[in-house]
Amino acid sequence: MRVIDLALKDLLQIVRDWKSAFFLVVMPILFTLFFGAIFGSSAEGDPRLPVGFVSHDESDALSTSLYTLLEASDAIRPVVLEGDDADSATDSVRDGDLAGAVIVPPGFGERVLAGEGPRLTVVVDQNTPSGQTASSAVQAAVNRLLGAVETARLSAEAFEAQQGFESEAARRTYLDETLALASEAWLQPPLTVAVEQSGAQAGEGEELSANVYTQSSPGMIVQFVVFGLNTSAMVLVLERKSRTLQRLLTTPITRTQVIAGHVLAMFIVVFLQQLLYVAFGQLAFGVDYMREPLAILLVMVTLALWVSSLGLLIGAAAKSEDQVMMWALMAMFVFSAMGGAWFPLDVTGKTFAAIGHLMPTAWAMDGFQNIVLRGLGLSSVLLPAGILLAYAVAFFGLAVWRFRFE
Amino acid sequence: MKVLDIALKDMLRSFRSGFALVMMFVAPLLITGIIYAAFGGMGGDGGFDLPLTRVQVVNLDQPGPQYSFAFGQMLVGFLQDEGLANLLQVTEATDETDARVAVDNQDAGVAIIIPPDFTTAALAPDGRASITLYQDPTLTLGPGIVKGVVSQFVDGFAGTKIASGVVADQLGQRGVAIDASLMQGIAMQYGAWAEGLGQGWDEGAHPLLEIQLPPTKAEPVSQETSIFGAIMAGMVIFFAFFTGASTAETIILEDEAGTLARLFTTPTPRAVILGGKFAASFMTLIVQVVVLMLASAIIFRIHWGEPLAVSLVALGLVVAAAGLGVFIMSFLKSTRQAGPVMGTVLTLSGMVGGLFTTGIPNLPATYGTINLLTPHGWVLRGWKLVLAGGGVSDVLLPALITLGMGIVFFVIGAFIFRKRFA
Repeated sequence: MRVIDLALKDLLQIVRDWKSAFFLVVMPILFTLFFGAIFGSSAEGDPRLPVGFVSHDESDALSTSLYTLLEASDAIRPVVLEGDDADSATDSVRDGDLAGAVIVPPGFGERVLAGEGPRLTVVVDQNTPSGQTASSAVQAAVNRLLGAVETARLSAEAFEAQQGFESEAARRTYLDETLALASEAWLQPPLTVAVEQSGAQAGEGEELSANVYTQSSPGMIVQFVVFGLNTSAMVLVLERKSRTLQRLLTTPITRTQVIAGHVLAMFIVVFLQQLLYVAFGQLAFGVDYMREPLAILLVMVTLALWVSSLGLLIGAAAKSEDQVMMWALMAMFVFSAMGGAWFPLDVTGKTFAAIGHLMPTAWAMDGFQNIVLRGLGLSSVLLPAGILLAYAVAFFGLAVWRFRFE
Repeated sequence: MKVLDIALKDMLRSFRSGFALVMMFVAPLLITGIIYAAFGGMGGDGGFDLPLTRVQVVNLDQPGPQYSFAFGQMLVGFLQDEGLANLLQVTEATDETDARVAVDNQDAGVAIIIPPDFTTAALAPDGRASITLYQDPTLTLGPGIVKGVVSQFVDGFAGTKIASGVVADQLGQRGVAIDASLMQGIAMQYGAWAEGLGQGWDEGAHPLLEIQLPPTKAEPVSQETSIFGAIMAGMVIFFAFFTGASTAETIILEDEAGTLARLFTTPTPRAVILGGKFAASFMTLIVQVVVLMLASAIIFRIHWGEPLAVSLVALGLVVAAAGLGVFIMSFLKSTRQAGPVMGTVLTLSGMVGGLFTTGIPNLPATYGTINLLTPHGWVLRGWKLVLAGGGVSDVLLPALITLGMGIVFFVIGAFIFRKRFA
């Protein structure tokens, strides 16, 4: 009962401080909304990377075929640029407005069909991930275009050998026709690669809501529950500074009960934060946390246990309010960024990914993503939850060892 | 002289605070450092060292006895080639269900399922087939690489098939007799051409493409400068504005402690006292920006650009950050208010100014315009220009605008403070 009284006192203290509303509610929701708006508007309509298309080869079938093949790509979308926009295409790539630009030189079609090999200029910064993606997609489309040209050439040679063309104009017409047919055939090639996403235990007909928020929403949860410690861990430091902790020891309450009361308050704050963010993610962004309520609850509880143990450790180690803020910020940066809350670990380097997966936050992300992305069930979160629990015990032990009442 | 004394006292206070040091130097370097380690700095040669993608390939291809080729087996061999060993860890599975379960259980990132009729579809005139990539939805880069590799392989066969089909149609329509040897010849010629194209591509030569870097006003920028320069610039700007506000907070802090009232009883004019506070902020910011730029140049190998242009942009940042700090604090009554208000205003203006999205490419164009509603956005624009090799003339406009904004903010803030302490 004393433990609960102490926890309720802490909660009241946190709720009464208007800064808590900012750190625990306003800031996380603002960030989630902001990144949602940024990524949402990027993905709106056509999520493919924009690549400028400038043709100096007017009324040419080959550049039209190239445009069509680029348009068929699932990674890039060509944006036709004319006039001033065409002149500044390369600047747009430099400024990051376009992932790349394809510039078709004058007389391109004529010269390619004549076997002269004019070159398309592709302006792209291959030092960036979007530049690499754009470059690969343009190369794939150009290879298909070259395949169509080769088909037209082989076909014309075969016809020449069998019957012969009446005139050069007839040969050119034949080439153009064949090129158009081959280019069209490439839009629906006979051999394709189809991508299916794993969703192992999702029920019959159940659609997983994979969207841009399935990475960012769990990421924001993990980040801001750690950052929120600057309010709950602050209570401990303020009590130590005002000697309230020492005064408490003059009452019949035991040291264990004091620590338990503070940890309970932190646990409740972190758990309520998660409830709020999960509800927000579910309702505002359509991230389907509630498809496996028990599994999500298990991840939330174990994450709250670890974060409150971390809060106790910060409260035990910090000597001033500034230090609480500093440690909470550091913990947020390190655990969030390295644990995959800011970006998926699979896009990082081998060593970083391996180190990152040692973070408890990486296991929390795994737990959330097993439900919302992989479509798995309760059993899939047992390992992440178990590891989070082990981290909670380790951090709690460390915090109790470091804890001073004076 | 008194201005300097006040400024030095405030600077000493800032540099003695562990929290201030963390926010000035550690946090921006730590955040950029983590991103640097994640995306560029942990490879053996300093390059990017991709994690291996675990692939299970199920070859169900059963070519009929009439075919001498087994394209499914060729694909398996292609995937297990040594050239791909640093990207893919390929194991063969015998059963499609097992491979799918391996992906479901995260024992593999991607399962490649080659259908039973793959060779038949590739060789029969009207055949169609699709190779299935079954991937872990939490992975992005690895499955993308696998798809690129498999598509390149499949396009080779698809091209041969398209060539054969189109040639047969065209010749047939014109009454040319088509026999097996003619079609075999077409397929072989196309196959040889596709092989040559692939080899040339692997060696870095493409017959039709000339890849160019986007233009820069000076020499081409390195990967470190291109990627991490913009991220570091965002961090420098965000934490500089934080420093500007927190050093200006000392006015309120001294007011609460009563030391400001004591200062007012001395013969020091109020303008000198406020000037000292602003000078402290200004000098602290100069130290912060210079240290961060030097440290990031050494640690992350960022080439910040032409010194004069960089100095101009940095000066704009320092004045804008110091001015905005005085402006924000002039509206606040206590240090209790300062933390959250500072956090809210600086976080929001940082968001609107584009400081947290410097590493995200191809954002909507309207967002770029919105960035310029804040001083942060103008500083960032100037910084992006110097990073891209811009000179003094390129950064003059953003630098002048940030300087102007900083001066206006300071004048308004100083006016409010003078009125308050009159």
